[in-house]
Amino acid sequence: MVTQEFSVVGKRMPDVSGVEKVTGAAKFTSDIYLPGMLIGKVLHSPHAHARIVNIDTSKAERLPGVEAVVTCKDVPKKQYTGCLMNLQSYSGIEVWGVHDVRVLDEKVRYVGDAVAAVAAVNEKVAEEALELIDVEYEQLPAVFDEIEAMKEGAPRIHDVVQRRQDDGTPGDEAVERNIGVHVAHKPVGDVEKGFQEAGYIIEERAYTSKQRQAPLETFQCIASFNAEGKLTLWTQFQVPNLMKRMIAYVFDMPVGMVRAKGEYAGGGFGAGLHLFRVPLCIALAKKSGKPVKLIYSRREEFTDRPTRETFGPYTFKMGVKKDGTITAVDRKVVAMAGAYVEFSGLSSLIATSVGNTVYRRQNYKAEADVVYTNKLPSGAMRGFGNPGETFIREQVMDEAAEKIGMDALEFRLKNLCQLGDPGTFGPDFPLTSIALDECIKIGAEKIGWKEKHGKKKEGVRRKGVGVSCMAHNSGAWPVHVEHSSAHIKFNEDASIVLTVYPATIGTGAYTSLAQVAAEVLGLPFEDVHVVWGDTDVTLWETGSHASRTMYIIGSAVYEAATEAKGKLLNRAAKKLGVAADELDIKDRRIYVKANPGKGIAAAEITKEAIYSHYDVEQFTGSSSYRPSNSPPPYQAVFTEVEVDTETGEVKVLKMVVVSDSGRAINPMTVEGQMEGGAAQGMGYALWEEPVMDTTTGQVLTDDFDTYKIATTLDMPELDTVLVEQPDPTGPFGAKGVGEPGAVNQAASIANAIYDAVGVRIWELPITPEKVIKALKEKKGK
Amino acid sequence: MHQTLRPFELLEPETVEEAVQILSSYGNKAKVLAGGIDLVSRMRRWQIKPECLVSIQKIPGLDYIEGNGGGRLSIGALTTLRSVELSPIIQKDWMILYEVAHQIASIQVKTMGTVVGNLCVATPASDIVPVLFVLGAELKIVGPTSEKTIPIENFYIGVDQTILEPNQVVTEIVIPGIPAGAGGAFLKLEKTKADIAKVNVAATVTVTNGTCKEAKIALGAVAPCVIRATRAEGILKGEKLDEKTTARAAEAAADEATPITDLRSTAEYRKEMVAVLVRRAIEKASERAKA
Amino acid sequence: MRKEIATFIVNGVSYEELIESNMTLLELLRNKLGFTGTKQGCAASGNCGACTVLVDGKPTLSCLTLAWTVRGRNILTIEGLAKGGILHPLQKAFINHGAIQCGYCTPGMVISSKALLDENPNPTKEEVKAALAGNLCRCTGYVKIVDAVLAAAKK
Repeated sequence: MVTQEFSVVGKRMPDVSGVEKVTGAAKFTSDIYLPGMLIGKVLHSPHAHARIVNIDTSKAERLPGVEAVVTCKDVPKKQYTGCLMNLQSYSGIEVWGVHDVRVLDEKVRYVGDAVAAVAAVNEKVAEEALELIDVEYEQLPAVFDEIEAMKEGAPRIHDVVQRRQDDGTPGDEAVERNIGVHVAHKPVGDVEKGFQEAGYIIEERAYTSKQRQAPLETFQCIASFNAEGKLTLWTQFQVPNLMKRMIAYVFDMPVGMVRAKGEYAGGGFGAGLHLFRVPLCIALAKKSGKPVKLIYSRREEFTDRPTRETFGPYTFKMGVKKDGTITAVDRKVVAMAGAYVEFSGLSSLIATSVGNTVYRRQNYKAEADVVYTNKLPSGAMRGFGNPGETFIREQVMDEAAEKIGMDALEFRLKNLCQLGDPGTFGPDFPLTSIALDECIKIGAEKIGWKEKHGKKKEGVRRKGVGVSCMAHNSGAWPVHVEHSSAHIKFNEDASIVLTVYPATIGTGAYTSLAQVAAEVLGLPFEDVHVVWGDTDVTLWETGSHASRTMYIIGSAVYEAATEAKGKLLNRAAKKLGVAADELDIKDRRIYVKANPGKGIAAAEITKEAIYSHYDVEQFTGSSSYRPSNSPPPYQAVFTEVEVDTETGEVKVLKMVVVSDSGRAINPMTVEGQMEGGAAQGMGYALWEEPVMDTTTGQVLTDDFDTYKIATTLDMPELDTVLVEQPDPTGPFGAKGVGEPGAVNQAASIANAIYDAVGVRIWELPITPEKVIKALKEKKGK
Repeated sequence: MHQTLRPFELLEPETVEEAVQILSSYGNKAKVLAGGIDLVSRMRRWQIKPECLVSIQKIPGLDYIEGNGGGRLSIGALTTLRSVELSPIIQKDWMILYEVAHQIASIQVKTMGTVVGNLCVATPASDIVPVLFVLGAELKIVGPTSEKTIPIENFYIGVDQTILEPNQVVTEIVIPGIPAGAGGAFLKLEKTKADIAKVNVAATVTVTNGTCKEAKIALGAVAPCVIRATRAEGILKGEKLDEKTTARAAEAAADEATPITDLRSTAEYRKEMVAVLVRRAIEKASERAKA
Repeated sequence: MRKEIATFIVNGVSYEELIESNMTLLELLRNKLGFTGTKQGCAASGNCGACTVLVDGKPTLSCLTLAWTVRGRNILTIEGLAKGGILHPLQKAFINHGAIQCGYCTPGMVISSKALLDENPNPTKEEVKAALAGNLCRCTGYVKIVDAVLAAAKK
């Protein structure tokens, strides 16, 4: 597919952070120690729903080594949201956003909610101090089920929250029926007519699970005020500039007085998109007058950090004609907000639209109710609603194919979207690339679809194959501000410094972005020095979310490099006595395109310009870039499973992941995203089962011994294939790739289980217990 | 939510007698430290708060595996799970003990954790314990004034509870030789490969002239402690191990189990799976007995 | 003991430190000696392997090891693997095979891999997976980690 020859782009360059990380030199937030730094710990609510009647912190304050204790009296009273995407609109709050959080409130709304915080000389003293805080609670009735929560007479979790008013600013509104947000898309066509025209109607409901991001480094945050009152923060940022703005909003301080400095982060997967307990850390630093590092233990991470979005139920109704045309799709979602809306409005928006660019439907509509319960809030995690929608949509697609007697692949291929079709956000943003058909064909061949699918199965252990297809986004423009500014400067030796600030959560972004810069500037990869991790140094940058990094930041880097190159060539042109457009640069050498023998070392030009007596110049380039589209990356995942019909165990034998993410700037990085995504997707499908005590609301799965993620022994044979159809709007043709990897697994496995043993599981995770139950029910029929 | 260790006295006696004396002097406020995997992690959670840790790590002569060609096997108190896994004696003659050690996923846990320490934790879901049950293991217990050896079945009295007094130490596991015509199996159901069992089953059968002379079946994670499925064993004894008999025994074993629903699985599923695993274990054990 | 001075040999160098009985090896390494390469990832329950170091060549969870009990023993952390700035073949392989994403599990993963190769210089793929089953990674899906270890073994 890829015919152009590049020097650096498309190569498996090793990660620029590799040496640091492999020698233990790389510093993470958990490794930072500032002089005089205190350790902060949070006191969590043991109750699912309670009013705080009184807090007595005197004993804790007297404990030697304790330097600050904060309660709701010591923090701003403002309502806000931890969803950092929320203040990105010009006016200040989005339609799907709700301001229902306070730094510390007079009420607690889930087991684990924050009640108070302490800062002490070390972690041991801080933990002791928590024990000494006396809290008097007035327990309130709690509700843990969304359908119950919407009924008359259910406990009210919020009375007044702030939503978007007509002028775009936040305004107080009462909450009805515990519904935090209602999300509705503008219907396309006439859905009712579409169902009337259908030969078959399939309607299913699915329940997805509250998966945890589970980065290996737990939440840590350091807040430090300097003598002038400027705040510097370290944490596992994904969107540092958006965090700055929300902090400035919450604390009523100028944005310019907040500085975000990032170190490496031990994983993100969406967890870094939340404001979370950063304001508490800041409050402790304010009160103690010292830098404070707030530390979350693994058990706190699993019981008090916003999780993946959760649907209960997601209702998917589809109409198909006998010839395989999809006439109508109607999606209704009950989304679990938990105690605070956080990201659930936005993830519901995505969960009811991101699938629009996979198959053509003549008529469709979708809406979601985001419901409060006394559970841990739903936040942002890789895939952001897509894994849940794909889980139900792809099983419904299989069911429809079976009903009309068409092969499941044929049915999909027949209905695939085409170039120029409306994109996720409507016909104004049409599809500029789609190679999903090729992904399907390649995957089918590699898994042995023809030989294995739809065959009669016998024996105790039965094999089956299944498919799932998906589309995601490359950034969230136009729904979200997608601003990436990048800067490049030439050193005197013609090496460059590239200043950018994507998240340092391990996506290999810096390496790929450096490859883009190196390619544009005709420089060897090692001549690019990347500077990141300080919002006082780097230009404004939305950050890393919605799989935007390569597509958007990559384009900013491309443009910045192009500008810098132009200036360099202009100067060289004068020196060489030619026009600037006659020149190009490769391998550190500027040369005349029509006569490559004539040229000059780039370093000669850069050095001369810097040290000139009369005509000083340092060549720089910058770009403030925003995209005009959000081309979907596509993936098809084929899975072969073996189901033990006596134990219900599902063993994944082989998984083929075929990805269309445009050009792979760094194929090794792209594969890594597919492989790592597959492990998380399989966890969502099979193993990761957060368990809550339904009478008390306490989360029981609080460590890796109870919340099970994949180990080396659980991974199947994994085959990853890159289909590189360059997208004309992406830098060197690249699209997003971070999230797609975790989206298809649940549906692919569920479809394979059906192929193996003829039962469908609609609730995640798919456990042996559920498979056995389904097999028994089938037998009973 | 805690994860820091509270203060404690740490002592390192050089004999078992000394260790037992120190334990006696602390009443029930001291704990034995061997590998520390379970002990230290519970202490970090503030689940237990001992005032004193009596480390036996410095006591010589406790780290050994002694066996002779299928005869008696002795394992010392400081023998690690990894040593068991790597022992050629055990791989050759006590295969299911090798298998159960091998399937523990974390090499670090196996390297640090001791077999005796593991069985003293007394979790009903232990993998090692059902295997020791069906191998007929006995434990040597040393106290301030006496020593005794008891069958491992008599060691457990409830969830996380053993008959061990605070001032007693298990110093050795003794496993009798494998009789001729014996075969064993260990099976487990777990969510991921590095997980605690939902259900586990260990079985040994001794077959002579096509008839089951003796059967031992132990069930884990389906009762307050590991239990022997004695009714199931009775059904097999003296019979040919055909499909029908095996199935009957498996059903009996499922009846003997009293599993609960917890965050790992349901009581219903566990009970059903006891029957499945017992049947499979008997089949596998009897196949090995024939070999 | 409750509080005493002890000598620790870390990466071939002796350190004399005043420690308390309730200090873990992980705390000693990170907080006292400044070796922040070794990480904590779970509730110090032995479940993630990020704290793995070698004690006398054996892969050990430093979060569950009381520092006092390993005084005088040879401790190897990730910082001690490269010699004179030259990376160990495992370190080179991890970098070249894309086996590192966020890098948080990497120190423990590399140390566990070293323990494997020291004991078994020519492991099979299955043996590599078994040796690393006690080390969790949330980023990579383990594919390239296993590739890297196999590649390093060939060197």
